[in-house]
Amino acid sequence: MTLPEFQQYQLQFAGHIRDPQIKPKPAMVQAKRMRVYTQIVFNNLVSSVSACFPICKKVLGKRAWKNLVREFFIQHQCKSPLFRKIPEEFLQFLKTVKGTPPYLYSLAHYEWIELAISVSETGGNAEQIDAEGELLDKQPVFASAMALLSYDYPVHKISPRHKPAESLAEPVHLLVFRNAEDDVRFIELNPATARLLHLLQDGAMTSRQALEQVAAELQHPNPQAAIQFGMGVLGDLQQQGAILGGKV
Amino acid sequence: MASISNIQGTGLGLKRELIPQLQASYGTSLIAAIDFLEIAPENWIGVGGRAGKNLAWLAERFPLAAHGLSLSLGGPDPLNETFLQQVKQFLDRYQIPLYTEHLSYCSDGGYLYDLLPIPFTEEAVRYVAARIHRTQDILERRIAVENASYYVAAPISEMDELTFLKAVLEEADCDLHLDINNVYVNSVNFGFDPHAFLREIPGKRIVYAHIAGHDQEAPDLIIDTHGQDVVDPVWALLKEAYALFGTFPTLLERDTNIPPLPVLMKEVNYIAELQLGQVPRQLLAS
Repeated sequence: MTLPEFQQYQLQFAGHIRDPQIKPKPAMVQAKRMRVYTQIVFNNLVSSVSACFPICKKVLGKRAWKNLVREFFIQHQCKSPLFRKIPEEFLQFLKTVKGTPPYLYSLAHYEWIELAISVSETGGNAEQIDAEGELLDKQPVFASAMALLSYDYPVHKISPRHKPAESLAEPVHLLVFRNAEDDVRFIELNPATARLLHLLQDGAMTSRQALEQVAAELQHPNPQAAIQFGMGVLGDLQQQGAILGGKV
Repeated sequence: MASISNIQGTGLGLKRELIPQLQASYGTSLIAAIDFLEIAPENWIGVGGRAGKNLAWLAERFPLAAHGLSLSLGGPDPLNETFLQQVKQFLDRYQIPLYTEHLSYCSDGGYLYDLLPIPFTEEAVRYVAARIHRTQDILERRIAVENASYYVAAPISEMDELTFLKAVLEEADCDLHLDINNVYVNSVNFGFDPHAFLREIPGKRIVYAHIAGHDQEAPDLIIDTHGQDVVDPVWALLKEAYALFGTFPTLLERDTNIPPLPVLMKEVNYIAELQLGQVPRQLLAS
């Protein structure tokens, strides 16, 4: 079925805005006025994307960054009507694009997660939480907006002066969460703590059960000492607001 | 249930930058003229954390009007009904009685996040009107559509903007969100008399209005940035509109180059001053 004339025009009009070098503007349209759209729409998109990815922009440099956003505009069909999801759409595009530095996707994800955690709507914690009592034989409850992440690049240390040449031998583990003041915090975790938090994350295990399992997996010579040490780590995470308390 | 009569008088478009100042001056005479705030659902749907708490705080204290950005009423893609359901829940949750959208499009298979002009053709009138009908069905309320600013006249247009606007309002049987600044912007960009345009507007459909500043790029080109103070010819149009049709809820939009709240309030206060002693259009209509 052929589209009505006004829709053919609209598609051509929008296509030219996305890719003015290749796609012609509709016939008889004033070039000077058309440029108002090609500039404004692209500049607004660049602003929206750049706001979430300042480090990506810096490490690539202004020109390469703009070219990348232009490729995004040309190639990616954004499916979300919500403006705050533009960075997520950009992230999807980065997954598919070729010719960017290998660490770029990880870095972009690290920048995006801060925004995502800061605004994520969690609905609060449904469970009753004991914020005071001993955590050892309880299931720890985490801040409702949180994520456990592993990256193959040291994303938290990348800058124009520190661009990783290759991936890490061991991934870097990060815990990101929103605290009671609604500030987003990042904590770097060692592999054992990352494993511990993964076990505890879905709320099925008590601290003791998870610590015993980690100690066993590590073939720790002194499980009792490992549990004691692990409880110290969990207490510290509770102090920082990543753990709210124990499930009642 | 919030009713549309909750939206009256003068309002201010909510920008995140303004929230701390609004919270600090709540209850003071500085912002006494703010009768309501306007938000874009696209910026707030599904937002929690500090931003979500701020919205809840404001919603408890001010009537809210919703002004959409992404519905793409004139767009070639199917109407995004999943999104409309989200809008409906959002309006219900924050007790928002009024939802308006632009007479424009912003998608071509994907979203472009900007407002593009619809060619003024008979087919487009029927197409847009049908989508407004569907929107009103899903939202279970009347909506108002806004006359949009634009920069490129479509050579395939079969009528002028005013004829198109009136035809859509008539065929869709929806309300008008009159953007006074856009009338002026388009009159400069396309060389027509804004006062003559205003006099032909179906006044009985006006439920809401915007006023804003813009950037004059050239004598014959204005960019609708909402980034400057409102200019005198636009104030004159608002005055004339009140005289012609009675007053209607009127909101100041400022989206870029945002001055401190006390500076913005001068313009909000001026809207209130113009409304003083005038008869609300709703009373004239009944």
